Amino acid sequence: MRKSLMVAALAGTCLAAAPAWAQTLRIALASEPTAVDPHYHDLTPNNALAQHIFDSLVRQDEKQKLHPSLANSWENDGKNRWTFKLRQGVTFSNGKPFTAEDVVFTFCRTLKNETKVSDSFADITGNFASVEAPDAHTLIINTINPEPLMPNLLSSLSILSASIVEHGPISYDVPKNCGVTGAWPAVSGFNDGSLAIGTGPYKLKSYVRGSSIELERNPSYWGKAEPWATVRLLPVTNAGPRLAGLLAGDYDVIENPAARDLGRIKGDKRFGHVVTPSTRVMYFQLDVARDQSPFVKAEDGKNPLKDPRVRKAMSLAIDRDAIVKRIMDGAAEPAYQFLPTGMFGTLPNPPKLAYDPAAAKKLMAEAGYAKGFQLTLSSTNDRYINDSQITQAVAQYLTQIGIKTEVDAMTRAIYFPRRAKKEFSVALGGWGSGTGEAASFLRQWPPTPNDEKTLGGSNYGGYKNDAFDKVIRTAVTTLDDAKRAELLQEAGKLVLADGAFIPLHFESGIWAFKSDLNVTGRADQFMLAMSVKPVAK
Amino acid sequence: MSAPAKAPVVPAYADTPLREKVLRRIRNRPTTRGAAILLGILVMLAVLAPVIAPQNPHDLAALSVMDNRLAPGDSGMTGITYWLGSDAQGRDMLSAILYGLRTSLMVGLTATAGALVIGITAGLLAAQFGGAVDAVIMRVVDFMLGFPSILIALVLLASIGRGVDKVIFAIVLVQWAQYARLMRAAALVERRKEYIEAALNFGLPTRHIMLAHLLPNSVGSVLVVASISIASAITLEATLSFLGVGVPVTQPSLGLLIANGFEFLLSGEYWIAVFPGIALVLLIMSLNLVGDRLRRSFNVRS
Repeated sequence: MRKSLMVAALAGTCLAAAPAWAQTLRIALASEPTAVDPHYHDLTPNNALAQHIFDSLVRQDEKQKLHPSLANSWENDGKNRWTFKLRQGVTFSNGKPFTAEDVVFTFCRTLKNETKVSDSFADITGNFASVEAPDAHTLIINTINPEPLMPNLLSSLSILSASIVEHGPISYDVPKNCGVTGAWPAVSGFNDGSLAIGTGPYKLKSYVRGSSIELERNPSYWGKAEPWATVRLLPVTNAGPRLAGLLAGDYDVIENPAARDLGRIKGDKRFGHVVTPSTRVMYFQLDVARDQSPFVKAEDGKNPLKDPRVRKAMSLAIDRDAIVKRIMDGAAEPAYQFLPTGMFGTLPNPPKLAYDPAAAKKLMAEAGYAKGFQLTLSSTNDRYINDSQITQAVAQYLTQIGIKTEVDAMTRAIYFPRRAKKEFSVALGGWGSGTGEAASFLRQWPPTPNDEKTLGGSNYGGYKNDAFDKVIRTAVTTLDDAKRAELLQEAGKLVLADGAFIPLHFESGIWAFKSDLNVTGRADQFMLAMSVKPVAK
Repeated sequence: MSAPAKAPVVPAYADTPLREKVLRRIRNRPTTRGAAILLGILVMLAVLAPVIAPQNPHDLAALSVMDNRLAPGDSGMTGITYWLGSDAQGRDMLSAILYGLRTSLMVGLTATAGALVIGITAGLLAAQFGGAVDAVIMRVVDFMLGFPSILIALVLLASIGRGVDKVIFAIVLVQWAQYARLMRAAALVERRKEYIEAALNFGLPTRHIMLAHLLPNSVGSVLVVASISIASAITLEATLSFLGVGVPVTQPSLGLLIANGFEFLLSGEYWIAVFPGIALVLLIMSLNLVGDRLRRSFNVRS
């Protein structure tokens, strides 16, 4: 007894002796989350914020490898049945214990989510035939089609507490509302904090859009306690002021300083930085389905983007090396497919997408557009690294082969909903592989949407290729890894050949920070307070 | 305008034509004279931009990313010497500033003219008819003036999108109300004068009284205020473009050029933001000095 008292006293002294800086962590974000609701929109900044407040069944580390989180273990029966053993002794920040009921409720909510943008996360649960909870800490998921990536997919799904709604006994019976009797939670409830109840290492203290997000340490967190009592996430969309803030001591960590500015901190002992190649591909998505596209005007009155030759010409017109060198300052890699070479399901030697304006002009003439046509590229200006600059550079290249191109760059809060309503003709996109393998892009963007909504959730351009659809449908239900990798390569080839998606480059994530901190760069580009630790002295 | 000149005994100064008086006032003050000359030069540059600019910065085919962010005086692969440097898209800053001046002046003048027409009409109608018409118009005016103009313009442009025409529309919308209020006040004062009463007694039609008597005799002060408001219209355009809701990124105005360059200030590439900044300051300053002198000249008279 006396011994434990002494330990406690010692611990107390240590805590008291900890310097004040160890208490609050201030992070400048390059891109602000659009909501606290973890199921609102499957966006990197949103998912990163969610990981502070909520846990998933499975966790991804900085290299996107899987680890147990709210699930201790999982196994597949070789067919459609997955069994998850859940962690015991976990409580939500409102004191309610975590059980299988909360997971079932979360699955239902993704299908009953009325305030979401696009089919965020319903693409996972859309494949569930049934979910059973034989006891409070076991969960059995039976899928309609085999799902080889179940743990990878569930690593992005934040688990909510069933206690945030009025409900009877919860069961996975979607037509009967899953036993929920009250109103389904809406995005506003999460943003004002009342529904932001999770099991994560932090609790939401306040969320003021455009100003700051404050988190405080969750004292009842089941894992190792975080070193920071409070975390302030401050959106600073402009790279210059972000770095200036770090240099002036306003921030402890900044996300994505401009690569050209790294020289300023390289020789400075007060700061450190880390550059990590990411799985995020930047690309343009073309409206290839409609006869009349809102931002295309051609003399013949048709939509030239429907012609594969025009799309090929557009890709040939773009000098990817120049964009990487002059706009990205080298902190990117030219992309010749949709996930960096070497990752699961990618082509080992994708043919280089060369810059050949002469060949591009020839193709344009062949397609009957020797005189070009008018086009507006739509883009965000505060989401991806140099997004508006990239789009403007591409506009230059397209103009040089005769396509009179304009650029409409807007804030992401306006851009994403408009893109989801198919209001654009050529839209900039950025997709980090949430699962760390090739199916992530290939199941979300190019497939023809299926009834279960598990495929093609973001096919805003109306791309349709029956051969590809067949391959990707088989691929995502193939449990055998070697076979699946082969199918994904084939699917990737087909999409590349059609040119409805024009890849540009892969981003690198950059973090700069005070030298008394240690920051782990993540391949998924998540900015997590959990990646930031004080340097042991 | 000739009404006061008909008075029998007046000092010699009042006999000088209005235009001559204004010009004399501008010439007699060295600062005002300097400002007027500067303004003249800027307007000339803006008008002649397509002729004198080394590059058409709005033509994307003329730009090259490979020439981006070159320092002032450097020559690029396209063969142009960038006397004021180039921006992140390889745009010649000198050309971009000349074209930017053009956009700024065009937006400022067109928007002010539009706002004047609406404001004067509304103010005149309110003063002439009074009662319900006056109440409705003036409550709308109060409502418009109750919001900061930048807020109205931001919300409007966020919903209707970018474009020079849309920016002009937004500026007209936020500026007409002040002219309406001024016009109404001036017209109300004028309406109490005897010559209007006489006209009313003659049974002249209302339209005639409004257009032939009220309008010319009360519009002066509104026009003077408008001359200063051109500067604030230009500032508003620059602010909106700086905030990213104004002109399209491929046709930058001065405000957008500054916003683009802002990012590179910390990297030591000062020319992208500083030179358009100087151009904007000179334009606004010269407009304000000239406008202010005009306003003071007329205040002395009234």
